[in-house]
Amino acid sequence: MKINPIYILCFVFISFISCRKEDNNSFDGPSLNDLNGPFSIISSLNLDEEVDFESGEEINFDVELSKNTLWEIEITGQTSGAIRTFSGTERIINSTNTAWLGGSNTFPSFQQEKAIVKMTFPNEEDSPIIIDSVNILSLKKDKGYLITDFENGTGETWSFFNQSGVNASINCNSDLSAKGSCFYRWEGTVSWDWAIGSFQVNAPEGGFGLPANAGNLFFNMASKFISNTGADNCFILLWFDEDDNGDGSFNLETEDRYAYEYWYENDKWNLVSIKYDDLKYDGDGQPVETNGNGLLEPSKLIGINVFFLANKDSGIKSEALVDHIIFTDNEAYKP
Amino acid sequence: MKLKLTIIVFIVFILQSKGQNDKYQINGSARSYLFANQLNIEKSLDSITPRKSNYGHNLLDLSISIFPNKESEVIGIFRLRNELGGFWGGGVVFDVRQLTLNGLAAKVVKYSIGDIDLQMTKYTLFNNDEEGTLNEADVFSLRRDVMHYDYFYKNNSWRMQGAKIEFNLLPSRNLEKIKFKGFITRQRPTDEQGRPERLFGGGNVGFIKSKNLFINLNTANLFDLKKTSVSDSSYLFNNVTSSDFNYVIKSDSSFKFNLSGESGFSLNKYENFSDLDSPISKNDWFYDISTTLNFTKKKLEFTVGFKDIGKDFSSPGAQTKRINFSKSSNLYQQFTNDYIGRPLTLSDIINGNSNNSVKITPELMAYNVVYNNTTPYGDATPNRRGIYFSFKDLDTGKVKGSHLDFRLLQESTGSGTLRKKVFILSQLGTQVSLNKFFRLKKEFMFNLGYRNEITLRSGEDFEKINLNSNFIDVGLRYELVNHFSLVAGHKFWKANGNEFQEVRDMYNNINDFENLSIDFTENITAFGVKYDFGNQNALTIQYQNFKIKNGGSNGVDYGISDLIILFNLKF
Repeated sequence: MKINPIYILCFVFISFISCRKEDNNSFDGPSLNDLNGPFSIISSLNLDEEVDFESGEEINFDVELSKNTLWEIEITGQTSGAIRTFSGTERIINSTNTAWLGGSNTFPSFQQEKAIVKMTFPNEEDSPIIIDSVNILSLKKDKGYLITDFENGTGETWSFFNQSGVNASINCNSDLSAKGSCFYRWEGTVSWDWAIGSFQVNAPEGGFGLPANAGNLFFNMASKFISNTGADNCFILLWFDEDDNGDGSFNLETEDRYAYEYWYENDKWNLVSIKYDDLKYDGDGQPVETNGNGLLEPSKLIGINVFFLANKDSGIKSEALVDHIIFTDNEAYKP
Repeated sequence: MKLKLTIIVFIVFILQSKGQNDKYQINGSARSYLFANQLNIEKSLDSITPRKSNYGHNLLDLSISIFPNKESEVIGIFRLRNELGGFWGGGVVFDVRQLTLNGLAAKVVKYSIGDIDLQMTKYTLFNNDEEGTLNEADVFSLRRDVMHYDYFYKNNSWRMQGAKIEFNLLPSRNLEKIKFKGFITRQRPTDEQGRPERLFGGGNVGFIKSKNLFINLNTANLFDLKKTSVSDSSYLFNNVTSSDFNYVIKSDSSFKFNLSGESGFSLNKYENFSDLDSPISKNDWFYDISTTLNFTKKKLEFTVGFKDIGKDFSSPGAQTKRINFSKSSNLYQQFTNDYIGRPLTLSDIINGNSNNSVKITPELMAYNVVYNNTTPYGDATPNRRGIYFSFKDLDTGKVKGSHLDFRLLQESTGSGTLRKKVFILSQLGTQVSLNKFFRLKKEFMFNLGYRNEITLRSGEDFEKINLNSNFIDVGLRYELVNHFSLVAGHKFWKANGNEFQEVRDMYNNINDFENLSIDFTENITAFGVKYDFGNQNALTIQYQNFKIKNGGSNGVDYGISDLIILFNLKF
């Protein structure tokens, strides 16, 4: 049978034409609506009046906009001054991009208080500012191994060191604490030494109950420098003492002590967080030498010493606060 | 330099005494090209730029073809160029313009090595014409031809450096012939620091059934050579594969009816690009099919076709533009009190003051939406779909070369919105022998080209487009006495409206849109005299006045007037 070549050609072309998928639901490049389209709020924010974070409730900021554009949500604790922010460029704002579980960006944490919610659209001229509020009935539950939040005073096994003229104690003032209402405070003028004062949290019988793996365990603490501050002027020195031989006491000559220095960054509450496994390096990234077995074993941690040091030559009072010492698994603590 | 000059002069004199013979041929061209310019701009806008400038050059291209034997030819073209103002060798540039070895191996395989001209189909390898010419007047084309000559823009081919071969097979009684063509060229040397060497190669196989039917399989590949730079250098691979055909369905003494077309796909691969935005690969399809009815006795040809080019179809060989619109003109490169770059104009392109492509590039180059928005990258422009038709050769004796083209295209995929741009392009051109109308003895030619382009997109204000661009290209040539003619021409471009022009990254992804509000008028008027020496040799003296209103994004109104002397001699 002789086939007319035109049929072959038609077949080839129809095959090509049929190969192309018609796609009328997508376009090339960024959306012109997002770039140049008018901005409006299609569905505005409507928050519940109160939230119970402890029981697992969360706040969702359900808003629908007319276009993808930069939006920012800032939640501020009216008493604590705690701040939690969300931002994004999605047109639809819902639980997938703004689920608030009760945490703040950093210390201080939220308290049982009224939180003010402000939503803005920085790239849209003359756009409205949405303001709402929510009452926090209870705080979120912390996940981790709490060493102390200073809410119940000092423990029986704690030990202290303070230079002459230094006042150091637990203060309970909700306006100043990083979390809860209490924190630890050093205050005094020490012109002869950098050392101001320290406290050591010794483990109760049976230890702190920490896991054995140092690779995914984080030490966390809130810290705030108030006076005699400035770069290279003050720092917190942390010692982590391990009971390598399991005799219930620490001997510096034969057991491991790991140290970490947290130097001044700013005058605010800051989260000091370090992976336990990183204690094997010093500030220059060099391996540290210890007197024990040289293994990082958080389950053998027997004491944590928190030491405040400041420049002795500045001639002014030194003051610092610490709060909420907690270990967490897998990630840094979320205030 | 003096030694080189001496050698050239020596060669010329020695060979002149011999003339042409079986062993060698001497051809060449000489040119004197002089400009006296004046920038016309309000002093309040520009009190810095010198208003007048003179420039030009004299050059000699000496082409020597040597035939060592019957199957071989060696072509060398040497250029001596002296800028205006150079004296006694100062400002003289000596260039090797072309070195090519042509040959025939075993009386079967034709080959060329060196500087070669390459062209395939409009979707694989094609050097598209630049903007701003439609039945152009002699007064302009005399100068444009100089630019084409300098950049080897002839017959829509690209000049490249490499090698090509060509041979035919006569396989069986079912096929008349199978034609093989292949080439490989070097597009870019390595910098040995991360940018690898880039080659361009391809070819086609043509199956010729008869004079009424052929099918070609084509491939064009732009690729980086691995291991020509550091080990983790970036690597680009672009492949275009297509098939094209022509089938004469019916043919007799009064008309011919044929079907033709091309379809294929492109594939781009990117490896080791440090940019996080680089895609891994992109591919897309295209097809273009048309039918032509040719009334041979009436010299009328009618074509209608349909095409669809995908948004990611990438064919560097067919999409590289001749003119680089992202670069400022070489004349008055910066102007105004703010030292802004002067955008390219039609006048710059005609006078050779534009930045022109000599290599193909995988990036879609910038273009001016006023000059061409429908097919800025030629027929292979990506993201276009629609119909086209044309009339050609309405030749009545008094009217020659008439044509009417119409394209109604839209985007295959919307850009920035689901709504698609629609492009309506109408072009017509004709050349009228007025001397036949008025029964004059001397030649009196009138040529006309008209182009209208409308770009539309409906929708909300933020996406709506309405751009109307009109271009008129008219010219006259009147022979006063034998070989001595008056020439005149006018180009007029006017565009109004708005457009959202794509801004692309180096991978041709659209990453932004430039919101253009256009109120543009460009006028070029030129007139002068031309003396023909025959065989494309001419001396012309022209005056040109160019004005632009709101040209480019800077919105500066200005003009440039030129007095031009061009003497072109080919021997």
